[in-house]
Amino acid sequence: MKTFLLRVEPLIWLLFGQGILIGTMLLTGWVLVVGILAPLGFFPNGMDYTRALDVASNPVSRLVLFALIALPLWKGAHHLRSLSIDLGGADRDTTVATTLYALAVVGTILAAIAVVRL
Amino acid sequence: MSERQKKTFVITRFDPDTDEVPKTESYEIEVEPYWKILDAINYIKDEVDPSLSHRWSCRMAVCGSCGMMVNGEPRLTCKDRLSGYGDTIEISPLSNFPVIRDLVVEMDGFMDKFNQVKPWIIRAKELAAEDGPMRQSPEELEEFKQFSMCINCMLCYSACPVVANEPEFLGPAAIALGHRYNIDSRDEGAAERNEVFRGEGTVFSCSYANECSEVCPKNVDPAAAVNQAKFNAVIDWATGLVISRDGKE
Amino acid sequence: MARPAHPHAMQPSRPGSTRTAPPQMPPRYPMGGRYRNYTLFDATGLVYLLVGFVALRIVWALGSGREAWQSMLNQLENPLYIAFHVLAFVSVVFVAVRFFSLFPKAQPPRIGPAKPPPAPVITAMLYGVWFGITAVMTFVLIGGNL
Repeated sequence: MKTFLLRVEPLIWLLFGQGILIGTMLLTGWVLVVGILAPLGFFPNGMDYTRALDVASNPVSRLVLFALIALPLWKGAHHLRSLSIDLGGADRDTTVATTLYALAVVGTILAAIAVVRL
Repeated sequence: MSERQKKTFVITRFDPDTDEVPKTESYEIEVEPYWKILDAINYIKDEVDPSLSHRWSCRMAVCGSCGMMVNGEPRLTCKDRLSGYGDTIEISPLSNFPVIRDLVVEMDGFMDKFNQVKPWIIRAKELAAEDGPMRQSPEELEEFKQFSMCINCMLCYSACPVVANEPEFLGPAAIALGHRYNIDSRDEGAAERNEVFRGEGTVFSCSYANECSEVCPKNVDPAAAVNQAKFNAVIDWATGLVISRDGKE
Repeated sequence: MARPAHPHAMQPSRPGSTRTAPPQMPPRYPMGGRYRNYTLFDATGLVYLLVGFVALRIVWALGSGREAWQSMLNQLENPLYIAFHVLAFVSVVFVAVRFFSLFPKAQPPRIGPAKPPPAPVITAMLYGVWFGITAVMTFVLIGGNL
């Protein structure tokens, strides 16, 4: 597993980097509206079912939603791994890394399914 | 003229023959306002306690010997003015290094890491002396010059949380040096070094705390070098997926 | 007092002739001085991981029909969810600001034949794109039509 992790390291770093860069750029507006403003009762039209489904099922929107879900998972997994090492966890790193990346892989697959079935 | 002032130095001591663990000892001395931290430590060694051990040599921020933790921060003590500190100053050996005695740390692990990055110019085919010098434009020099200013003072290793926890990690100065050769227009060894950079405990182990660059007394900015090296290693890896390297060498 | 570093940190490949005291971590790690922002930056990993999975649930609900969607919207009104998303918003802004300051110098002097623009230009571009994407995203999500 350790050797495998080493081999895919450049790919993971790339996904992690895009998680910070693209993930952050997409999440700012998303978290602001979907997570905060809409639940507080602002702009009820935006979250209307028919309208939301219509906007989300556009091919570009599907791609955006996929990136918005999947990329932050890689940013999250990789940063938690490095936090675990810095807090003294080099010896448990293979287990921690495998678990976190497995979570990100599962999330990525589910994200793909979620946007396809819209 | 200037007035002498009293300051207390709390210095970490460790004698491998008698001490189980390091302890601290306090020295109250009168210092001149123009002194550097190193002047005070030299004064203590010469006038108060000759058993104190520390490394130093050039006194002008070139040799890189006198790195120590000053109030918990890695500093080059010959470059660090006393006037910037309060009445009590804590001095301890560089963090993240095994301690041989008092303020002297074990450097051999640091030296071991350097060889791995092949810090010399690699050519596919050596040039003959008759071919004359390899020319380089000022612009080409500028691309790596900053990364070649390292004095091996080890402050960056002392500040890095990854160095502390991942013994395999090559660390800031060694990677910066490897990267310095990778982007040198005269060098042809980037593929070889990128192979090393994709191994265990190399560029991707860096989590970009940026502490190495914060503490570097020569503005080398090792964090920039390490992260540029990651970038190049990824490009190299991606190109390798498309174009097989066999037959190229 | 400093925490011990990994016992093998900076150990030479061949042991020296005398006993050494074990390496100690920098005393200010993890929450003192500049280390705090670094540790928090890493810790936002947890927030990102959770935000990703929450976003997955939301999109999944949208694909599961009107009732599932309405039930998801009701859940998002729970104060705990709102508090989490406020934390997520702060984290996202914090990550952007720290990362945008570290990103430019991580660009090699040349990428193939191309030379990246100077650092201040890269930073300005990052902020520009960030504000732009956020504006478009917000506009669409509050019900605007492009």
